[in-house]
Amino acid sequence: MNNEAVRSNETTGRTWGKRAILGLLLLLACLLPLATDDPYWMHVFILTLIYIIVSSSFRTVSISGQLPLAHAAFMGIGAYLAGMASTLLGWPAWVTIPLGAIFAALVGALTAYPFARLRALYYALASLFLGMAMIYAIVAPRNWTGGRTGLVGIPALFPDDRILFYYLCLTLVVLSLLALYRFEHSRIGITLKAIAQSYLVAGSVGINELFYRILAVAVGCFFAGLAGATYAHYNTVLSYTSFNLGATLWIVIYVLVGGIGSFAGPIVGTVLLVVVPEIFRELKAFVPYVSAGILLLVVYLMPQGLVSLPRLIKSWFAERQRREEE
Amino acid sequence: MELVVGTLANMLVMSSMFILVALGLAFIFNMMGILNLAHGTIYMIGGYVTYAFAVWIGLNSWVALLASVAVFSLFGVFLEKYCFRPFAGNFDASVILCVGITVVLQNIVNNMLGTQVMAVPHFVRGIFRAGLVSVSYERILTFAIGGLLTALIIWLVRATMLGQQMQAIAQNRESAYLQGINVNRVQSLACAIGCALAAIAGSLMGAYTNLNPFMGDDMFAMALMLVILAGAGSIGGVVIVGLILGGMNAVLPVLLTGDYAQAIYVAVVVIILLFRPKGFFGHEA
Repeated sequence: MNNEAVRSNETTGRTWGKRAILGLLLLLACLLPLATDDPYWMHVFILTLIYIIVSSSFRTVSISGQLPLAHAAFMGIGAYLAGMASTLLGWPAWVTIPLGAIFAALVGALTAYPFARLRALYYALASLFLGMAMIYAIVAPRNWTGGRTGLVGIPALFPDDRILFYYLCLTLVVLSLLALYRFEHSRIGITLKAIAQSYLVAGSVGINELFYRILAVAVGCFFAGLAGATYAHYNTVLSYTSFNLGATLWIVIYVLVGGIGSFAGPIVGTVLLVVVPEIFRELKAFVPYVSAGILLLVVYLMPQGLVSLPRLIKSWFAERQRREEE
Repeated sequence: MELVVGTLANMLVMSSMFILVALGLAFIFNMMGILNLAHGTIYMIGGYVTYAFAVWIGLNSWVALLASVAVFSLFGVFLEKYCFRPFAGNFDASVILCVGITVVLQNIVNNMLGTQVMAVPHFVRGIFRAGLVSVSYERILTFAIGGLLTALIIWLVRATMLGQQMQAIAQNRESAYLQGINVNRVQSLACAIGCALAAIAGSLMGAYTNLNPFMGDDMFAMALMLVILAGAGSIGGVVIVGLILGGMNAVLPVLLTGDYAQAIYVAVVVIILLFRPKGFFGHEA
């Protein structure tokens, strides 16, 4: 490896500077519970971590050119499976959570198979309706899933200790992000990007488009299910409104506001849109306007998402400098 | 017999409302390539604004409806100029924008009026009876207005110059510019009409059933299904698909219990999309 390039600013790869920042962030995340005793903030942080997993996995699927607008429904599948397995079958959480993830991945793979024939916008719309259908299918058998009133009585993991649950979520997030990052930057990830750019060329090089598209969806749904199952054991109650079209749209927004082009995008977007409105909690009824304000700000000023902010600032300064030189 | 008449009446009313909202959505989608996720919210606020005009200002229900139409036509023009035109064709940005609009509007209504049970004052009262048939005049009126407006829109799109211009823009934007069509003006008009239609549908449904801040969500889902199944660029198709879907929506819950019916309904839509993703009537009008 060329040490010059690594030390300079000319690589976009893993430099020591970037690793230091990551390490610092991880340290901060670990120390966070010590900074605040407030159980409400712990709740906010736990939700943030869970949604980081969901939005990052959404982005992973979108690398392959498919926009899985049913993602929240898959989170719901993982959640409801974990919930039903623990309430109806009495299985412990450390069994139901992986089970929820695997089941969501299986359903994802099965439904991805017929959907693979659709491309771009049509895939997005079809998966949007698929998500709706799945939610109705979950809500329908009232005796098993609690219907519209929801599934209650799920045994909580660490019921009295939110801090412990926070660390569990942090571990899951770190592992998931590591897995998703390695997945994206592996040969498989490059293949997915090739399919997204031009499925014709990819096919002509011998890439099995169907296999890779199903794989992308399955991996994404695995993590969505994982997040959902963890959420089930945290919240102890499940309501279908957490997993419907509105929820999917919010996930899309977390990803878009952060920036869909970069791995850190969904993380930034989720943290911003989950945590910042809570800072303004004092405003009570006006909290949604804070979120809406962030959305409008981003859409009009930073359409590439917040991760493009450093780039925008740099180019703004460069533009000013250029004008001064003239 | 009672059941058949009731289901038929239900089907006609719901179909006409779905079609009105879907037509608005279709206009915006065909011409600007933007999926207006806020359309359900416009439908909802249309009902509330009519309520405001009728109950707080004390106008006659019909006058309130007209006032609402005026307000929403202007809102449609505003939307088109500042929200849709900058982002035409940009799907990502339009999602963020429309959800932003939805959040703002839904929360305004929810915070101001959420927990109260409200309904737009009835446009007509009374029940029509003929032998075994008894239907409320409200239902007949809703269907009648819906049908009339639908026919009007179809006439507009097929037989007027404006309609031809709209079709041209939907088919090929660049060529429409080359033909000398004032694309911005036609887009504004289309958006205004679309929002006005949604507002009318919301007001009629607000009189037929109660108003609630989230009634737009279900309606939007229906309208979206309609528009997608009908196909991009088709207006007449929206009507046909609307009648079919409205029929299914009215009949299925009678045969199966509520949520199963919805699940099967949406599953059917998904399966149709798998085989005909472009919809049935795409690219004609």
